[in-house]
Amino acid sequence: MAINLNTAVVESREQRLGTIIAWDGTASRLSKESAYARGGCGSDCGARRLCELSGPFTQGSVCSEQMVECQAGNVREAVLIQHSPIGCGAGQVIYNSIYRNGLAMRKLPVENLHLISTNLQENDMIFGGIEKLEQSVRDAWERHQPKAIFIATSCATGIIGDDVESVAKKVEEEIGIPVVPLHCEGFKSKHWSTGFDATQHGIMRQIVNKKPKKKQEDLVNVIALWGSDVFTPMLKELGLRVNYVVDLATVGELEQLSEAAATVGFCYTLASYLAAGLEQEFGVPEVKAPQPYGFAGTDAWIRELARVTHREEKAEAYIAKEHARIAPKLAELRKQLKGIKGYVATGSAYSHGLIAVLRELGVEVNGSLVFHHDPIYDSHDPRQDSLAHLVDHYGDVPSFTVSNRQQYQFYGLLQRVNPDFIIIRHNGLAPLASRLGIPAAPLGDEHHALGYQGIINLGETILEILAHKKFHQDLAAHVKLPYKKEWLDLKDPFALVKAENLLDTERA
Amino acid sequence: MANAEIKNIKAKTFPIVQKTNSIQQIRYSCSISALHSAAAIPGVIPITHCGPGCADKQFMNVSFYNGFQGGGYGGGAVVPSTNATEKEVVFGGAERLRELIAASLKVLDADLFVVLTGCISDLVGDDVGSVVSEFQQQGVPIVFAETGGFKGNNFIGHELVTQAIIDQYVGEYTGPKEKGTVNVWSLLPFHNTFWRGDLTEIKRILEGVGLKVNILFGYESEGVSEWKNIPKAQFNLVLSPWLGLQTAHHLAEKYDQPYLHIPVIPIGAQETSAFLRKVVEFSGLDTAQAERFITQEETSYYHYLESFSDFYAEYWWGLPAKFAVVGDSAYNLALTKFLVNQLGIIPGKQIITENPPEEYRAAIHQQYQTIAKDVSTDVEFEDDSYLIHQSIRQTKFGNKAPIIFGTTWERDLAKELKGAIVEVGFPASYEVVISRSYIGYRGALTLLEKIYTTTVGASA
Repeated sequence: MAINLNTAVVESREQRLGTIIAWDGTASRLSKESAYARGGCGSDCGARRLCELSGPFTQGSVCSEQMVECQAGNVREAVLIQHSPIGCGAGQVIYNSIYRNGLAMRKLPVENLHLISTNLQENDMIFGGIEKLEQSVRDAWERHQPKAIFIATSCATGIIGDDVESVAKKVEEEIGIPVVPLHCEGFKSKHWSTGFDATQHGIMRQIVNKKPKKKQEDLVNVIALWGSDVFTPMLKELGLRVNYVVDLATVGELEQLSEAAATVGFCYTLASYLAAGLEQEFGVPEVKAPQPYGFAGTDAWIRELARVTHREEKAEAYIAKEHARIAPKLAELRKQLKGIKGYVATGSAYSHGLIAVLRELGVEVNGSLVFHHDPIYDSHDPRQDSLAHLVDHYGDVPSFTVSNRQQYQFYGLLQRVNPDFIIIRHNGLAPLASRLGIPAAPLGDEHHALGYQGIINLGETILEILAHKKFHQDLAAHVKLPYKKEWLDLKDPFALVKAENLLDTERA
Repeated sequence: MANAEIKNIKAKTFPIVQKTNSIQQIRYSCSISALHSAAAIPGVIPITHCGPGCADKQFMNVSFYNGFQGGGYGGGAVVPSTNATEKEVVFGGAERLRELIAASLKVLDADLFVVLTGCISDLVGDDVGSVVSEFQQQGVPIVFAETGGFKGNNFIGHELVTQAIIDQYVGEYTGPKEKGTVNVWSLLPFHNTFWRGDLTEIKRILEGVGLKVNILFGYESEGVSEWKNIPKAQFNLVLSPWLGLQTAHHLAEKYDQPYLHIPVIPIGAQETSAFLRKVVEFSGLDTAQAERFITQEETSYYHYLESFSDFYAEYWWGLPAKFAVVGDSAYNLALTKFLVNQLGIIPGKQIITENPPEEYRAAIHQQYQTIAKDVSTDVEFEDDSYLIHQSIRQTKFGNKAPIIFGTTWERDLAKELKGAIVEVGFPASYEVVISRSYIGYRGALTLLEKIYTTTVGASA
């Protein structure tokens, strides 16, 4: 399904990609069942969708609005209005801290983020919150003279039906900068990654230069979060420059997205929509390759990027140089990590990449939890099938689980494979692992494991983290888990789900 | 980098603006954030009936990026949520809540569950009360509070939760009272970054003078059994400018229980000893034991202070002379009182940020006007950080850079004013807090260490 920028509201992941949030099996089976989406067959469902589990017990997840905060809210020179009661604004705290640390890591001036809550009250639920929204948009302009103003909707404004579009249009005409509504009501999508898409949808509709005067043939869009600048040195080898978006970018850097020679990302979960949209709407080619993790992925990724930007000969030299450079260190790490078992519990496509890196390091990976699964990405191109790439190049993962950060299931999942450490990014799972004596490597810098150097980085991080085991094992001996013994004793983390599905298939 | 930072700050201008509905850089959350008040009681687990992000938003921001306090037993990512979808919006979510509660009973080990609703449920009008009462009738320890985000902030939500537990779980009581037992209603759990350590110190000093203390929240609480004992207590102690007063009024009506309201949370020996004497007088306890405890604590306190005074009297490189406090009224008043009366620092600007209900503001204001026998100061009420920073920028702090007791939001402002920042309230994203306390006898010394490590540490 092509990306449709004519509508103000982004289509959710589940509508566009058939995204699921609960599944349990092997990586190879999930890959095979997802093949329907690329026109293959093999879905056990017999339908053109993946079987999805759905049960009665769920723990707090994450919503699309949070992903809008962490993207649109982290654009420099812009303001994000949260059109909501004050509680949605709580997110300002975490995304401010991450923004500040991200700026520091990229050696940019550190500042607080610019988020304003319209602070809706009970009366506004009855009479509507449109006037307050207009006031807050004007406040944003008066206070900061931003280059763009984003508006995030909320569950409350979605239900009361506030006409955000007309306010945005009216003020935009008056002040002459883009005022961009981002529709991201939490209840509208079962997975938060729709919030990435909502932000990127708004950026493509209202910020990106529609008719770029020039093309920058050496500029590559890198769809990232706050990660350290590992792309500049890599791309420099090919004579390319980096345009990091969306987080930490200036509005100008978002405008020039359409001028670039290519688009890449560190994770297809994040990059899928924007990269495909830039190609479809502005002819900026998306690099269709495995993600740049491990030798196989990084080699293929660099070759494809070089092909798209016509720099093939430089690529081969760089690849050969890097293989040789990291070989001795890698051999040493493989020795040190022999017999170690790891578990990856991260976002979907990111996990596919990290497992590859762990296997390059000789770490055994028998299990992984991903928060959702997209059977296909927006490009619909099989070269981006990150799960198939993992299975084909690095072998199967016997316990592969889709569970949108459901801590109660994580206990059983860890028991299956008894890892020595876990890798995480999102919060919520490591605390349980800790209480079981298992240390976690939190990849706050999402570029840490990327490319050739990333293999070494991750290996060294694992050695550091394994040392933490002493802390976690000491703790594990002294805490009681909040879960009932009857639940913990069940071998199957999906036992409740399956019992429920027998009784009621409606909720699927 | 430091240079770039300074250059960037200098380049910024901040137009003077008027108050509107906008809140920039939030300092409180909404009522569903009172899920923390449930999780703060040992053995209690909240169940949230709301959108998919509400529970995460609350704990990631209020308990993680605020001192990195951690969710404890039943908070954090443990909290069940209906994660409402379009289906619950269109058809109502009562059935889904019923299903979640039933499943929670199978999975989670809790002494009491507290159901909190979000905007979605309160807007579509789910009959949460009747769903919860089905379980109550089966003997399940469970209560509910309607805490939709538009109903008020997390301070308001806190009292909705405490009253829900009292009315729906603690229940009726007409028996005798236990002389010398007190229920303490003080800091807002988790929102106040130091609540765990502070409640521990409050309990310690009240026990020191001979009281039996139901501290109700935090690691020193005995959990639901302590809550069951609430009606038996001789009296309630509301130790905060206003939070807890509603609950105390409710308890006065419900259990015919008197309350003592002390607006100033004590920091330092002077204030703490005075506080203890007031409580002892109200309770009618033997003053001899109290005085013995006070003497013992003061002896220890002033020994430490004596050694500290070498530094305070003759440190070469200057110490801050004026201060600003930006924070909720409880800590704001407590700190101002301590800094003015016991350290002799000059108040520059005090801004209260939690939007206290109108009816309490005059009394709070009065506290500042009589902050010391010879010092009167003013206080502002403001919850929009842009205006808060505007007010601080307009304050004349004199020749020396001020010390700001504030939050992460003031980090850049402190740099701009070339002053020091001590993060003392929500959000404190650059503090790691485990058991630290800034109140009472012991906490005051920790606070002094923090203040002067911050200023001395930044000197060269």
